[in-house]
Amino acid sequence: MPELLRVVAGRVAAVVPVVFGVTLLVFLLNALALGDPARAAMGQRGDPEVLERIRRDYALDRPLPAQYGAWMGRLVRGDLGHSYHQQRAVTEIIAERAPATLRLAAAATLISVMAGVMMGALAARRPGSLVDHAVMATAVLGISTPVFWLGMMLSLVFAVTLGWLPVSGYGGGDWRHLVLPAVTLGALHTGSVARMTRGSLLEVTRQDYMTTARAKGLAEPVLLVKHALRNAAIPVVTVIGIGLADLLVGAPLTETVFAWPGLGRLLVASVGQRDLPVVMGAVLVFALVYVIANLLVDLAYLLIDPRTRSA
Amino acid sequence: MRPRIGPLATAVLGLLVVALVAGGAAQEARKSGGTLRAVFVSDPPTLDPAEATDLTSAAVIRQVFDALLELDERLRPASALAASWTVSPDQRLYTFKLRSGVRFHNGRVMRAPDVKYSFERAARGKRPWVFDKIVGARDVIAGRATEIAGIHVVDDLTLEIRLDRPFAPFLYLLAYDAASVVPREETDKRGASFASHPVGTGAFRFASWRRDDQVVLERFPEHFRGPAALDRVVFRVIPAEITRFNEYRAGQLDLTDIPTGHCQSAQRDPQLRGDVAIWPTLGTAAVRFNVERAPFNDVRVRRAIAHAIDPSIIVDRLLERCVTAARGILPPALPGYTPEVKRLAFDRDLARRLLAEAGHAGGKGVSPLAYHFNTTDTNQRIAELLQAQLKEIGIALELRRLDWAAHLKLVDQGSAGFFRQAWIADYPDPENFLTVLFHSRNVGAPGNTSRYRNPRVDRLLDEADVMAAGAGRDSRYHEVEQMIIDDAAWVSLYHYASRALVKPYVKGLERSAQSSAPEFLAPLRKVWLDR
Repeated sequence: MPELLRVVAGRVAAVVPVVFGVTLLVFLLNALALGDPARAAMGQRGDPEVLERIRRDYALDRPLPAQYGAWMGRLVRGDLGHSYHQQRAVTEIIAERAPATLRLAAAATLISVMAGVMMGALAARRPGSLVDHAVMATAVLGISTPVFWLGMMLSLVFAVTLGWLPVSGYGGGDWRHLVLPAVTLGALHTGSVARMTRGSLLEVTRQDYMTTARAKGLAEPVLLVKHALRNAAIPVVTVIGIGLADLLVGAPLTETVFAWPGLGRLLVASVGQRDLPVVMGAVLVFALVYVIANLLVDLAYLLIDPRTRSA
Repeated sequence: MRPRIGPLATAVLGLLVVALVAGGAAQEARKSGGTLRAVFVSDPPTLDPAEATDLTSAAVIRQVFDALLELDERLRPASALAASWTVSPDQRLYTFKLRSGVRFHNGRVMRAPDVKYSFERAARGKRPWVFDKIVGARDVIAGRATEIAGIHVVDDLTLEIRLDRPFAPFLYLLAYDAASVVPREETDKRGASFASHPVGTGAFRFASWRRDDQVVLERFPEHFRGPAALDRVVFRVIPAEITRFNEYRAGQLDLTDIPTGHCQSAQRDPQLRGDVAIWPTLGTAAVRFNVERAPFNDVRVRRAIAHAIDPSIIVDRLLERCVTAARGILPPALPGYTPEVKRLAFDRDLARRLLAEAGHAGGKGVSPLAYHFNTTDTNQRIAELLQAQLKEIGIALELRRLDWAAHLKLVDQGSAGFFRQAWIADYPDPENFLTVLFHSRNVGAPGNTSRYRNPRVDRLLDEADVMAAGAGRDSRYHEVEQMIIDDAAWVSLYHYASRALVKPYVKGLERSAQSSAPEFLAPLRKVWLDR
């Protein structure tokens, strides 16, 4: 238990420098990027007096350190500011979008873990066999296939041609709308999980205790599930945790192809509109998700491997 | 004696019967009910007429709100909230008689003070230029006053608007979505959130909006023109054009745009060709020069580049002949357009001679040139074609691709010397092209990004802008247009067209030059579904 608390406390403490570093970087990049939020909000025909007024309203006439300081000051109070573009609270905007992205990321993770572990286990059963090569080739294909292309192909086959699933949209939360985007996004990471599972399983199956278990006459499935998979899980869990970052990176593209109203699309659009408060808010959420994912990975280590509890 | 019916009377009677039957059939044929499934490329930033600056927002606003006037399919001002209007002989005083009994969606009756309030509110918004011709409007825009002195409420149904000076397109401005009428109690109650809970007098009232997913409108049964045929309109938000196309093919959208590169194939496709609708709109794509920056401060260099560009290649090879190659600056669909205006002819020998005369034979001293454009696949491919064309006269073009916000900034501040720009008319008048884009008072962000200053052009524009519509006004604009073309401050490439797919059962959708797929600005109250 003390170990658990130490891990949680360490990760929570790590949030502070991560938030500071990430938001400062985003703020500076935005300041360096060409483009004026007030001008972007005005459309092609900009009235100079209105532009000045909007710059004042957005506090863009203040020095950069003062702007960042004000943002951090609001953040401490739980206020992410107001969107330049939507003229609403950023927290409200993110609260609207986050569930869609989290739902998509959760489904994609589930798909990638289930498919990846099964593929890895299948390949590891007969190393060097035709099945092994076929599964690993599929894994590499999944890793290297562009999300946009895969999404379009799945949509063409399963939505347009066969009519089994909707082409795009959120569909008010209907699970059928989730299938194609989740498979597309999940495919990005399935290959990594499969490759790591295979490698890790091969490593474990060469251990002495596996030979002993096999000599005791344990059936192969029992051997795989009870002894091999559990011991091979630590590197796999690490890959899954790191993979969450891949899913977040892949989310904007998947959300665009499938018109999924998530945070990824919001972030991309907001960068284009120079809507700095929303960009900062969305990046902050992504950073927090990443930190939380790493925390969960650490906790999973404790759960899977009792030796880490006393380390 | 029995009365006889002559052949003429028989024919007249017959025509009357046919007309009655046909009329009845037409009435009967206009079916009520159903949901129109339309689509947007991006989420509307706002549904508040005072804050909107984009077509997507306008496409919703035009259904939820009404203005004093609207433009008919032929772009003529027509009655909307104003039942009638008169203009004083000096063309400065406009008097509007409003319709009586028009209700907002919240049930309250609309009155003249609502119009005054709406205009004053919108003048403090993002499109103040819609109102800045009214006496005292600049004071409100600058924050020096709260009321526009030139708007006078005579009684509940009569409103007078006085202009600083005559302005021929003023009625067009009153049909613009920025001039929509809003109820004060709703904007006061909701504040900034009025942008996501709009209340107007329009044929459709706001039902719901899930950001980046869909906007839903429903029929307003008490609309002053009578209820619309459609029960609901759903605007889906689908950013990828190929996804919109797939949704349309899967039968999940009733109308959309034709994806880039599919214009000809859609017209050959047996399943789609009956749905293809292409019509000219009020836009022109062009390249511009900042005439203050070397080497573009030399008209010979600008003309050399203009003579080296062949827009027909872009139209034929890249845009599949679904748009028209430009002659002048004004698009053919714009009232006031004349085919008499001539572009600088494609002539590479002349282009080379002009470059040599300017001291840049074979591109010496000017090459490489930077060409700036905003990020789209079409713009990239146009830039590559321009690169190939200018190479023929010895100019190497360096392509500089930026996103829209960065491109705007660069062009506004005069940092770009040679750049892409397009213009879509806010209202159908040459003033909205020529004065906005080339008058010296509009240098920079207001529109004249060429930083073109020509006293004769300014004088002709000033004269034309205040003249009543007619030959005298048109001839001034034509002269200005030709002067700008000859000065090569702007080189038109092609005129825009709306390239749409519309299901055959969608009836009554206006193909106005102001309406462009997928953000159709047509009044959807006229649309009905025949299925």
